[in-house]
Amino acid sequence: MKRFLVKLLGGKEYQMLRISIFSIVLGLLAGAVILLLIGENPLAAYMNLLQGSGLLPKRSYAGKQNMFTDFVQLLDAMTPMVFASLSVAVALKGGLFNIGVSGMMMASGFVASVLVGYSSLAAPIAKPLVLLIGIVTGAFVGSLIGWLKYKFNINEVVSAIMINYILMYVITFFINSYYVDAVSRQSKLIGESARLTLVDVRAMGLKFNIPLAFVLAIIAAFVIRFLMDRTTLGYEIKAVGLSRSAASYAGINIGRNILTTMMLSGALAGLAGVTYFCGYMGTIQPGVIPSMGFNAIAVALLGNSNPVGCIFASFLITIITRGSIYMSSQQGVEIELADVITAIILIFAACSEFFRMYVSRLEQEILANSQSVE
Amino acid sequence: MGDSEYIIEMKHITKSFPGVVANNDVSISIKQGEIYALLGENGAGKSTIMSILFGMYEPDSGEIYIRGKKERISSPRYATKLGIGMVHQHFKLVSNYTVTENIILGMEPQNKLFGFIPRVDIKKANRDIAELSERYGLKVDPTSVISDLNVSTQQRVEILKMLYREADILIFDEPTAVLTPQEIESLLEIIRSLRDAGKTIIIITHKLEEIKAIADRCAILNRGKLIDVREVKDTSTAEMANLMVGRKVTFTVDKTEADPGNVVLRVEDLSVKDEMGHEAVKDVSFEIRSGEIFALAGVSGNGQNELVDAIAGLKKAEKGHIFLNDKDITESTVRERIESGLAYVPEDRQNVGLVMGYTLKDNLVLKDYYTDKYSSRTVIKDEAKAENGTRLIQEYDIRSGKGNDTIVSSMSGGNQQKAIIAREIEMNGRVVIFMQPTRGLDVGAISNIHKQIIDERDRGAAVLLISLELDEVMNCADTIGVIFDGRINRIAKASELTVEEVGRFMMGVEKGGES
Repeated sequence: MKRFLVKLLGGKEYQMLRISIFSIVLGLLAGAVILLLIGENPLAAYMNLLQGSGLLPKRSYAGKQNMFTDFVQLLDAMTPMVFASLSVAVALKGGLFNIGVSGMMMASGFVASVLVGYSSLAAPIAKPLVLLIGIVTGAFVGSLIGWLKYKFNINEVVSAIMINYILMYVITFFINSYYVDAVSRQSKLIGESARLTLVDVRAMGLKFNIPLAFVLAIIAAFVIRFLMDRTTLGYEIKAVGLSRSAASYAGINIGRNILTTMMLSGALAGLAGVTYFCGYMGTIQPGVIPSMGFNAIAVALLGNSNPVGCIFASFLITIITRGSIYMSSQQGVEIELADVITAIILIFAACSEFFRMYVSRLEQEILANSQSVE
Repeated sequence: MGDSEYIIEMKHITKSFPGVVANNDVSISIKQGEIYALLGENGAGKSTIMSILFGMYEPDSGEIYIRGKKERISSPRYATKLGIGMVHQHFKLVSNYTVTENIILGMEPQNKLFGFIPRVDIKKANRDIAELSERYGLKVDPTSVISDLNVSTQQRVEILKMLYREADILIFDEPTAVLTPQEIESLLEIIRSLRDAGKTIIIITHKLEEIKAIADRCAILNRGKLIDVREVKDTSTAEMANLMVGRKVTFTVDKTEADPGNVVLRVEDLSVKDEMGHEAVKDVSFEIRSGEIFALAGVSGNGQNELVDAIAGLKKAEKGHIFLNDKDITESTVRERIESGLAYVPEDRQNVGLVMGYTLKDNLVLKDYYTDKYSSRTVIKDEAKAENGTRLIQEYDIRSGKGNDTIVSSMSGGNQQKAIIAREIEMNGRVVIFMQPTRGLDVGAISNIHKQIIDERDRGAAVLLISLELDEVMNCADTIGVIFDGRINRIAKASELTVEEVGRFMMGVEKGGES
């Protein structure tokens, strides 16, 4: 068994990728146990996950939809997740735990909605402006958290959780007071010219929701990779993340570095916010903190805080979160149970680092044993 | 005891770890009631073989006989049962427990409160410990809390812990590494009296004088192999050293007379507070000229760390000034100081000197990654960085598994130190600070570093050497300052001071002014 695990997950080549996939598979197996317990066929349920994400054909489609439109829909949902997981990953590299992604997302989505979403600006101005506002708002909240840590040594986890709630309630108050849609009880839908998802685009006899920022998210991942691996800023962020005492010995200003890292992380969270609320959703639900900001932590861990890994991890997790809706409707599984299964898979995803450590220990053990045999 | 003359026999012990054979067919036999020393460089396998005896590792092959009976020592608990005790290099004490509580931990004497509620009989324990410390001459107050005790007293607590467990085979792992010369004397005295009380003692060390002073026999290990076992009284220290390193070692450092130039570093009435807010450095003044090695001698914890941190910019000065080439750098940032030519080899190489998760080549540019040499407009020049790494690895003989791309946490301590020294020497600094540069390193590495320190001086740098090793201070220094309780008690030319004198100032026995 141990040897098998090492063979499967040991070695250096693509180890992180193999371990990530292994974690997902374990999560799926654990989910299957739950599905079996409630008397459902796990295989059929997991088929539904893929069908719901446009990776397998469904039995029937509504008008002007097919597998391809579903897939584009998946990319639409995945776009903010890529930004959000990058946000977490950058902070992790800098030794910080950004649990405030949700609040930053909400803030940037709200500010962009109010300033641009409800205005009559033309699309070529409105859309870039929404992105810019997202970046600025997110960076502002991020640097606030960074500043509190730098100036008063307040743990970023604590302040981020508090700020999440403060932002959520303040935004809820404003939405309920000024921007609520009487029917949906959510904020009013933003104008199409400001929206980052092109809704109901007709082509080839089909209707698409095209995520404009998807390409931007992919580019962002590669930019972050370049920034972290090849620039002095990335060198400093990682040095501070690995050892504050060594970094300050090297002459790096720790406080300013923490601030910069949180600002960068916040900007990415802001982009996640606008692509989510002003793209995928088009509206903000008051009184609810978006769970994506927390799921992004599992995604970043699954992607080993590697920017490109974050793209793939976002893809996998979005399949599960998106597909679970279809699964619950097809299998008659309650949506709550579908959420439970999603959560179990996420938990295993977050354990990938544990698997890596476990395997490297097994490797050493086996190496030691084989040497003693010789 | 047994029929055999030997209380411990370890036969053909082999133990390997991934990538290294720590013990290769090592056989040692130890007589009842002798002091047996294990001598070897770092990584020679001394600690491994004793960890096997103490049950922390199991050997891959080989047999162990205790009192003539074959034993499989599977855990320290079982080793304790066999009467084997060990004092580790890093003490294993609960710092907010009292001496007694630490000693009885795991085997507390009990009595019954109201006749039925079991509880620890701390009074009896205190009495027992007091009696035990009396019997072996180990002066300790059983009721004092560990964190209030100094290192040598803590060590006595560790010894008492073994004795309380009725150990008669006592293993000491580098017991003198943390002690002052005077404390070492008294420890050696304790070890002798333990032997006279019938205990068998094994001492792991790489200090030859101590072996000469107390050991009866000495086993010399080199690269996992047993080289020889010698009667100490028939073997000279030079002979032992040669066996240990497998080559000739010169003990005194080759060094020409100093030719000091201008004052480069000047510290004036400097006071620095420690973490707790106590004044750790008090009105310290000294100056170092170019081409001069100023060695600061002192027992650990007398303000050296705070003093160096203040000079390097890692800690704020409360009072006073630091001048580098007549420029006041008291308020400068760390980077400004580095840029004005301050190189610094810190004591804590793992937490301060290196980013352990970074590769070797990244660590070798830790202080100048942002300069034009290694980056243009914030983009790092990978080639320049790699070339620098390759060059330093060669020039300074830094050994590692994967060269430039080795993660430094996987390198040995000696090679980590080589990497730091390479980086700092390459800075070509005006002031070079060496803080405990040879701690935990083997004889060969030490003499190499001493040579590098002297080369730095000859290049014209002002060298500040802070060391707890008196030999190092005496060997390298042109000028010696002795620090005690945050004050520099004495500054004098090295040639005017004897070891004993420096030792007395270090212990605060004598408090003189400058001469």
